[in-house]
Amino acid sequence: MNRLDGKVAIVTGAGQGIGRAIAVGMAREGAQVIVAERNAATGAAVAAEIGQDGGDALAFQTDVAAEASVGAMVAACLQRFGRIDVLVNNAGIFPRASVEEMAEEEWDRVIGTNLVGTFLCSRAVAPTMIAQRAGRIVNVASEKALEGAANGAHYAASKAGIIGFTKSLALELAPYGATANVICPGVTDTAQPRANLAPGERLEDRAARIPLGRIGQPDDLVGPVLFLASHAGRFVTGQTLLVNGGTVRW
Amino acid sequence: MAESAALTRRVAVVNGGAGGIGQEVVLALARDGFHVVILDVSETACQEAVARLAQAGGTGEYRVLDLTRKPLVAEAFAGIRAAHGRIDALVNLAGGTLHQHPIQEFPLAEWQRVIDVNLKATFLCCQAVIPGMKARGMGAIVNTASNYGVTGGARRTAYAASKAAIMAFSKSLALELAPHGIRVNTIAPGRTATARVMGNYDPEEWEAKGSEIPMGRAAEPAEIADGVAFLVSDASGYMTGQTLHVNGGMVLP
Repeated sequence: MNRLDGKVAIVTGAGQGIGRAIAVGMAREGAQVIVAERNAATGAAVAAEIGQDGGDALAFQTDVAAEASVGAMVAACLQRFGRIDVLVNNAGIFPRASVEEMAEEEWDRVIGTNLVGTFLCSRAVAPTMIAQRAGRIVNVASEKALEGAANGAHYAASKAGIIGFTKSLALELAPYGATANVICPGVTDTAQPRANLAPGERLEDRAARIPLGRIGQPDDLVGPVLFLASHAGRFVTGQTLLVNGGTVRW
Repeated sequence: MAESAALTRRVAVVNGGAGGIGQEVVLALARDGFHVVILDVSETACQEAVARLAQAGGTGEYRVLDLTRKPLVAEAFAGIRAAHGRIDALVNLAGGTLHQHPIQEFPLAEWQRVIDVNLKATFLCCQAVIPGMKARGMGAIVNTASNYGVTGGARRTAYAASKAAIMAFSKSLALELAPHGIRVNTIAPGRTATARVMGNYDPEEWEAKGSEIPMGRAAEPAEIADGVAFLVSDASGYMTGQTLHVNGGMVLP
């Protein structure tokens, strides 16, 4: 008996990195998965990988910041699988700029993808979860929401916004037996932070300030997401779990 | 053969394992494959816990002791290590106390007692288990706080202080032990439907209290236990120094 047998899960930004690990991990626990991804090629590759692994996944090209795109993705999920049990709002971007030099368009793009995208996807699945009187939403924020990020004010603001949004959403969904929680990764070994490294800088060097002595791997997030999405997490709502090797302690 | 099999069996120690939440934690850890050692003050409750454990197909044992006395705690942990050769997980659940006193009437002895059963017992059990975990370079410790540790509570100054202290203690210990591969996290239950807690309310009052919680009811002890089992397990292998609140949305820190 797998922990998510018979469940349907949507994972945004599932074409790579943390989102891919979560989608694969949930499929292994029996969930049918929508791989919602802006990049059609990487989304299709992850859906194919899940299929080869014996799972059932559908890739859907999605821009979480665009209302119509989110609506089409959720409609496709309901058409293909008939229900929505879990939504993981993972899609996010982390470009770098000082506040002084930050273009308004860049601010809007980060808030739009990370925070507005989380709102749009949550709003799109809420009617189904309320009607089912069951559902789990897991939003991926960041430890930067709590400690801030130099040259990443838009990112930190968007991620802190996700925490406030999720607490409010949890209060609204609780009467219907649905939960909403946040996980905050720390430094994680994915392409996005590697693209932001200064010349000569290594991502692994950041392990020095992490109590558990290593940077996170995408798979480190899978166990906490499965806990929140499965029967074991049924009375946890509105909470924030930091999965960061102990760097920031909540 | 039997001896080597015993040495490879993972062992969890649950202090307060005979209590309302504790018995469910014992069952959850047994389900995850642990041999469970219960430390508690009541022989009768320990017998009941071990009987339920056996009925569920798990294995375990108990020791009756006052967890606030260092020599007794040290002796208990030495005995467990001698018998099993290892302790993989420690869950510090013992404590509680329902006494309520306005601050101007709070007797010092009662204040001290609350701090001791909650905070000192946690400290002593951690201190006793750490050398063995360090020697093996692994281990998981889960301490128990409460939503009161975040919100405070009128007439519960000692209880709230002890629970906030457990969170800070656990974060500090997480930093100390992370280099040794030992994780320390905290579970913070909200209102939970144990016989001891429910005994303080008449049924209508209990129902009304439950409806104030966003999810509309108090936690079942098994729901707290599932959170503890998660923090003990490798599923939370990259989490340390954190607090998991299982409270149906009652407190959102």
